Amino acid sequence: MSAMTTTRGERTAYARIELRRTLRNVVAMFFVVGLPGFMYLLFGASAGYSQERAGNGNVALYVMISMAAYGAVTATVGIGGSAAVERMQGWGRQLGLTPLRDSTYVATKALVALAVAALPILVVYVLGLLTGAEGTPGAWLGSAVILVVGALLFALYGLVFGLAFRSEAAVSAASGSLVVLGFLGNIFFPLSGVLLDVARFTPLYGYVSLARYPLTEGSVIDADGNLASEALWMSVANVAAWTTILAVLATWLVRRSRGRQ
Amino acid sequence: MTSPQHPAVELTAITKSFPGRAGTVRAVRGIDLTIATGEVVALLGPNGAGKTTTLDLLLGLTTPTSGEVRVLGGSPREAVRAGRIAAVLQTGGLLRDLTVRETVELVASTYAVHVPVEDVLRRASLTAIAGRRVSLCSGGEQQRLRFALALLPDPELLVLDEPTAGMDVAARRAFWDAMHAEAAQGRTVVFATHYLEEADDFASRIVLVAGGRVVADGPADVIRSTALGRTVAARLAPEVVGPAATELRALAVVHDVRVDGDRLTVTTADSDAVARILLTTLDARDVEITTGSLESAFLTLTGSTPSTGSTTPATEGAAA
Repeated sequence: MSAMTTTRGERTAYARIELRRTLRNVVAMFFVVGLPGFMYLLFGASAGYSQERAGNGNVALYVMISMAAYGAVTATVGIGGSAAVERMQGWGRQLGLTPLRDSTYVATKALVALAVAALPILVVYVLGLLTGAEGTPGAWLGSAVILVVGALLFALYGLVFGLAFRSEAAVSAASGSLVVLGFLGNIFFPLSGVLLDVARFTPLYGYVSLARYPLTEGSVIDADGNLASEALWMSVANVAAWTTILAVLATWLVRRSRGRQ
Repeated sequence: MTSPQHPAVELTAITKSFPGRAGTVRAVRGIDLTIATGEVVALLGPNGAGKTTTLDLLLGLTTPTSGEVRVLGGSPREAVRAGRIAAVLQTGGLLRDLTVRETVELVASTYAVHVPVEDVLRRASLTAIAGRRVSLCSGGEQQRLRFALALLPDPELLVLDEPTAGMDVAARRAFWDAMHAEAAQGRTVVFATHYLEEADDFASRIVLVAGGRVVADGPADVIRSTALGRTVAARLAPEVVGPAATELRALAVVHDVRVDGDRLTVTTADSDAVARILLTTLDARDVEITTGSLESAFLTLTGSTPSTGSTTPATEGAAA
């Protein structure tokens, strides 16, 4: 308007400040990074069976991937859920007054979610490297990439909880539900029998088994020590189905909240 | 101004309805309003009058059920993208775990060009608390932060929704002082309020809104005189007081005449005509003309209490 000095908008500032804000939440970061690291040391590195062979590596690597997965999804569920809640609590109106596009907002949040999900994976993998986890380079790298990208699915999971229940408590509940899904996902200890049959349909199961695939090539050890084989398409189908379900739910919930405006 | 040929705001026959629990809520029931650039306009009305909904339509936060909204010659969203319109919203809208400066930096990053962050912090008197978490800021400080965010794009049109709600008297005065400084630079300012003094003190034009419609529109003093009229008081010789009262009561523009000894008090829509009669034909002395309060005007026009507890069916729903 007037002849006033202006500054160019700093494109990366949004992601940078969002990232700083997430990392500053010490309690949340303990559950994202501290807990998975601790559980890996307990159940992976210090366990008697840790050096036994498992596919393209050893059992320590198997446990390491599981715990990193738990940390990564905890991070993305929190980011997805709080994004939904903050938008509905008025921040969405504030952003509606800026040139920021919805797609840019989503991309920024996704970028932050990827960065934060990478953190527990990095920490747990470094711990693994230092404490005797072994595997082929393909097993290390392949699992890490699948873990980071696949964690985005759980940003949708958090988003659905946030959109549906509209409170910070709902987001905490979503994070809490990950413990149950973690057990059903074969993350904390091996399942067998009927429980394993049911567990195959839960969202964390597909994600973790896909991340373990570069290591195990489909082999599953059940609670009785039996070795079973599982086809790759089952993990892929699980992840694809849950991505579709959560995306449809999220879209419907966003439409519903728009209708009230 | 870059486009003086376009009005700042053009609302043409807009209506807005929401699905509500008890059927459809008709928040805006047909508003026509044109605001020229450089005007300072108050939307005055009780809670539930449709003020917030009207401002939301202006800002492109919601779309009208029917009618057309044009801002600075284009759509609201175009004006927002170009940084030509900005707003201070009534509630919410801040992330509690960011600091004041981080909030400004974050919103600044969404604009292609913006006023320097330090500059808006200073103009909103936030420099001293720039490092403070938003959750630790008072209501008045949070409102100043929203004001700082609105200054970032250096907007031509500034929209304020109940900007001083929750502020104490000193904070309210300081806020309007800051706003005067912005308006003095030629910015168009449109604000919603249910504080009558605020509309009166700050706006040059008042648009009275009730039940989703404009019930009066004009300069603040005209709004007062047409709604309530002015009061003309004068002293007359004792023997002419009686006949004078009878003569004045017969005039169409006179609402009421009271007699108190030799003093006559006339309530009228045309104070000039009454004063002329009093001075020229009745030889009146000590003539006083006073304007009725805006508060009374409000009651006359809307038949509703100005502050709280409105029972009109319309809501300002979009914020909820």
